[in-house]
Amino acid sequence: MNEVKVYEKDQKVKIHFKVNGQDVEYETEPRKLLVHALRELGFTGVHIGCDTSNCGACTVIMNGKSVKSCTVLAVEADGSEILTVEGLAKDGKLHPIQEAFWEKHALQCGYCTPGMIMEAYWLLKEKPDPTEEEIREGISGNLCRCTGYQNIVEAVKLASQKLRLGQTPYQRQ
Amino acid sequence: MYPPKIGYVIPDSVTEALEFLEKHDDAKPLAGGHSLIPMLKLRLLRPSYLVEIRRLQELKYLRKDGAQYSIGALSTHYEISKANIPLLSETASKIGDPQVRNMGTIGGSISHLDPSADYPAALIVLDAKVKVVGTKGERVVDFASFAKDMFTPDLNQGELVKEVLINDYSGYKYSYQKLERRAGDFAIVGVAVLLKVDGEEIKDARIGLTAVNTKAVRATEAENVLKDKICEKTIEVASDLAVKYANPTSDIRGTAEYKKKVTKVMTKRAILTALGKR
Repeated sequence: MNEVKVYEKDQKVKIHFKVNGQDVEYETEPRKLLVHALRELGFTGVHIGCDTSNCGACTVIMNGKSVKSCTVLAVEADGSEILTVEGLAKDGKLHPIQEAFWEKHALQCGYCTPGMIMEAYWLLKEKPDPTEEEIREGISGNLCRCTGYQNIVEAVKLASQKLRLGQTPYQRQ
Repeated sequence: MYPPKIGYVIPDSVTEALEFLEKHDDAKPLAGGHSLIPMLKLRLLRPSYLVEIRRLQELKYLRKDGAQYSIGALSTHYEISKANIPLLSETASKIGDPQVRNMGTIGGSISHLDPSADYPAALIVLDAKVKVVGTKGERVVDFASFAKDMFTPDLNQGELVKEVLINDYSGYKYSYQKLERRAGDFAIVGVAVLLKVDGEEIKDARIGLTAVNTKAVRATEAENVLKDKICEKTIEVASDLAVKYANPTSDIRGTAEYKKKVTKVMTKRAILTALGKR
């Protein structure tokens, strides 16, 4: 039987994971949070808001599910696939959810936006055609202090239409 | 906020995890981490090591054998919410917010035993059992006795929750009603109701309250009153009696007096919802 892997508190752990499709190798102390690791790696679209698992600004997709990266240790992400807001746009073209947020003016200061978009990404994967109530429940783990949520809900509705139709009526060239 | 400096252990099996936990009395198992990591950040806990059990496939299952559900400790609230288990799936869907439900696990939740947690209200009315595993073997205990007091599960050093066992109550009507200050918060009061209805009569009634005591409790007198013909009066009396079982403390979520009042309101709401009268 193998010896159990034990890392002491000052020891670095080498982890491998995929961020937005790219292989990343990273050395981390056991106590480091995933949000800090991602930001150090340059994915600063992952925001630190409340630091207490409330606000959802740090939301990323880990192995297909939305998580608050301030409540996940970087070591736990070893072997996982992470998607951040930076991974959504392809070939200089915004993702339909990003387009919808733009068209519906679903942000003011923008601080909550990356987390909000990633949660919408997970919500629409789960429920491609959500009701307004399902949208509001779906983003209940993401706080926005500017918009009053109305335009965010409208944007998620529009994004759902865009994704279901597989087309993007408004295309930025 | 950062967690304190901490050692980290990655076992390949439950046995390896148990052996390490038994030898290190201040090591803590890390499942979903959605209570543990915030507690580390706030320095409410300073364990020497975290033992990562979250990815141990041995504890990740959810199956139905005959009339019994076996729910592996590492089943997430999300997975349980999708499993169509009477009462428990509804309760799981009301925990925290979507991101929390994607990470948080039932084993972690009941090992932590926050007095305001949602599951305990459902687990005590479902007569759930908990299978505990240690280096010396397994034992099965009733959830009601497993939950000794707030933050005090019946777990010895070197033991882990392996699974939660629940009978299938498909024929029953049920509802979990949670009053929260804002979406995603812990309950101000949570009421789980499970009813066996035969025509116009309630044959079996179970009412579990969470967040209004140091642990979840059954409102037995209220249950007994309900076992009668369905009528507005008995529902009213039962809801009143449920308040006797609430002994809340005043905190940021409300005063003790307020919490008692809403215990009645939420009990009534849960009964009416279970009966489809709301």
